[in-house]
Amino acid sequence: MSEVFLETKGVGKEFNGVWVLNEIDFDLKKGEIHALVGENGAGKSTFIKILSGVHNPSQGQLILNGKEKKFPNVQASENAGIRTVHQEINLVSYFNVYQNIFVGAEIQKRYFGFPVLANKMMKNEVEKALGNLNIQLDPKLPAHTLDTSHQRIVEICKALVHNPQVMIFDEPTTSLTEEERNRVLAVIEDLKENLGIIFVSHNLEEVFRLADRITIFRDGKKIATKRKEETSQDEVIAMMIGGEKTFSKYKRQQCYVQEASCLELKNVSNEKLNDVNFKICKGEVIGIVGVLGSGKTEIAKAIFGLDKIKDGEICLNGKKINPTPQKSVKQGIALVPEERQEQGLVSGMSVTKNITIAYLDQWVKNGVISHKRERETAREKIELLGIRTTGPDQIVRYLSGGNQQKVILSRWLSGDFQVGIFDEATKGIDIKAKEDIYQLIDKLAEEGKGVIFLSSYLPEVLLVADKILVLRNGAIVGEFSPDEEQAEEKILSRMLGGSGYERAN
Amino acid sequence: MNEQIKRFLRRYGTVLGALAIFIVLSIVAENFLTTRNMFLLLRQMSMLTIISLGFIFVMSGGGFDMSVGFSVGLVAVFFAAVLNATGSLPLAILAGLGTGLVVGSVNGLLCSYIGIPDFIGTFAVGSIAVGVKMLYTKGNPIFFMRPPESFSFIGQGYIGLVPFPVIIMFVILAIAIFVLKKTSLGRRIYAIGGNPTAALYAGIKVKKYRFITFLISSLGVAITAIVLTSRLGSAQPLAGENYLLDAVSVGFLSATMFGEGETNAEGAFVGALIISMLNNGLTMLNVPYYFQFITKGSVVILAVLIAVLMGQKFRMKF
Repeated sequence: MSEVFLETKGVGKEFNGVWVLNEIDFDLKKGEIHALVGENGAGKSTFIKILSGVHNPSQGQLILNGKEKKFPNVQASENAGIRTVHQEINLVSYFNVYQNIFVGAEIQKRYFGFPVLANKMMKNEVEKALGNLNIQLDPKLPAHTLDTSHQRIVEICKALVHNPQVMIFDEPTTSLTEEERNRVLAVIEDLKENLGIIFVSHNLEEVFRLADRITIFRDGKKIATKRKEETSQDEVIAMMIGGEKTFSKYKRQQCYVQEASCLELKNVSNEKLNDVNFKICKGEVIGIVGVLGSGKTEIAKAIFGLDKIKDGEICLNGKKINPTPQKSVKQGIALVPEERQEQGLVSGMSVTKNITIAYLDQWVKNGVISHKRERETAREKIELLGIRTTGPDQIVRYLSGGNQQKVILSRWLSGDFQVGIFDEATKGIDIKAKEDIYQLIDKLAEEGKGVIFLSSYLPEVLLVADKILVLRNGAIVGEFSPDEEQAEEKILSRMLGGSGYERAN
Repeated sequence: MNEQIKRFLRRYGTVLGALAIFIVLSIVAENFLTTRNMFLLLRQMSMLTIISLGFIFVMSGGGFDMSVGFSVGLVAVFFAAVLNATGSLPLAILAGLGTGLVVGSVNGLLCSYIGIPDFIGTFAVGSIAVGVKMLYTKGNPIFFMRPPESFSFIGQGYIGLVPFPVIIMFVILAIAIFVLKKTSLGRRIYAIGGNPTAALYAGIKVKKYRFITFLISSLGVAITAIVLTSRLGSAQPLAGENYLLDAVSVGFLSATMFGEGETNAEGAFVGALIISMLNNGLTMLNVPYYFQFITKGSVVILAVLIAVLMGQKFRMKF
């Protein structure tokens, strides 16, 4: 490992008066893999976005090869030799491997003065590069025929074409199988000889396998940078969690779990889920945690009928159901989806219309919608949940995130559902609104409803759930009680790595 | 400008535009503002209004129907054939409406259930409609042997001073306003148009409702075709093909009025009025016919531009 060549000094970022990143001192050396770890919202993404020119830092310096740099945009960062391999795969599906790799940077030669694509040259280059990485892959295969790991490798090659000095990998192994994961990790390891690599992952096993140094973020601050040899997974987890939990003062008062079960999943499997079993009783709040890509949303989709299940069955009140979204709404299953804007709201419609859309028949008499009664319901809910709006007729797109989420909650509250599925229901909303939602979930449990609370933010799951299931790669790999000793450490270590199934007690 | 004026202009700007066109034409074209011409104008616009009212159901659901216009002639031809064969107006009307529903079902099947992009699917269906009607008529109009009196009344009759097509137009306008504003059908169509994914997540059968919008659109086509045939006194296979561009203009014009950028029935009425005033007034001013195409093309661009600026999103899948 040689000299430091990328460095940040006191970098911070502020959004609307909130400092999401504070005083980050960080350095990267040539030939090393430097891992960034931290819980969701710890500031990793913001930090990466500053390095790659997406965000401008509100304070602090970026130093590259001893010189201070400013990256007003992504292009500037890329020109300076920093390339990010993003979590999402962005390939042109019907382009083949080398066409994708050279997209936007095509090699051309001239015939009679006209520029023409040098396909053979590009193909040979790619063959050579893949050979160096010990990857067997035909450069003429179209991207859509490749598995996810090879698509990821094509993305990596796309970045390599530009001879970067620094490569940033953001969760490069999300939703890969074990074999695919090993393939991608081997490639990243091979690359480090010539570059500096920043590696962001939720998987601590991977981190400890690959990284030379590990930097831990928490609540927008850097907690420590450790050489791999001088730390352990347990220590890293402890640093990610921190001593005191200041995130919310919310406290559950009581447990309302009843005897009778309302929803049961028996050996449910499909492309994304692997033999999922659990039962939820009336009045019970089950928390399901897992990192991104672990299959949380897929559980929600399977229950609500948006995804088909291949094997197993779903039972509601002891009866087997074949859910479709329409039937689910009728049978009393409510889904607060992960993507508020894309999946939850009709943003050009009023608050009222967004609230009444699911159980619309309630306000219809003789085929006619009663606008008056609709608005009454909306007013009621606005008051009940404290939605901040100019009134029931305000267009929903003008509301803040938390209030929009409350509109979706009102939608389901205006009907009488039995099972509520909350998928990342508190994502991107302020702490007050979060606490309102926790309180609401508590109230739903008191009313005897079953609640499935899916989240990748463990501290909040610990606050609201009676029981916590850990999901990894589409399978449930652990069951915990939020009240047991060191629950957070145990659950987190189960989310982030470790093999086998672990059960409380 | 303060917020209230802005809001007013957002909602009623196009209506003011219509008013301006009306005033200007009243001044420059001397026969424009007469009782006779006003009823003529209303009668001229009635068919465009009806076809557009069907069309905006598809647009409100986030879709598009390129077959309107082409299928007018198809309906006219089958309507005329059945009328000639049976001499029964009710049967002929059923045949006409039935033809419309067949076209709508094919559109709906292809675009909603199978998932062919609306533009391509409905355009292909329109092309097939052209082929079928030409095959059947060899391109010649169908004349009527002994048409019942009630037949010509549909397009040419009067109730008092008011032409009968105008009455049909207002009845359908009232129904369209009612359905879009007051029924769950209308609400769900708008929800799908606003965000099909969110509509699905709220338990709405998105495909079914999109299918229904295509049926309604073709029903509008069928009624228009029947009125037009009665008005012309013969079934012209090529009649009505210009309605495509006009209905698209009306659809986008309607989205610039009365709301947050969504298509609506009241707006469609005003939109059809604008297009028809331009047709009527420009003819009166002896502007050459082909120039009207330029005017209308410009109106479409303007309407779409305003609609987009107001936030109407193009969710049409190409």
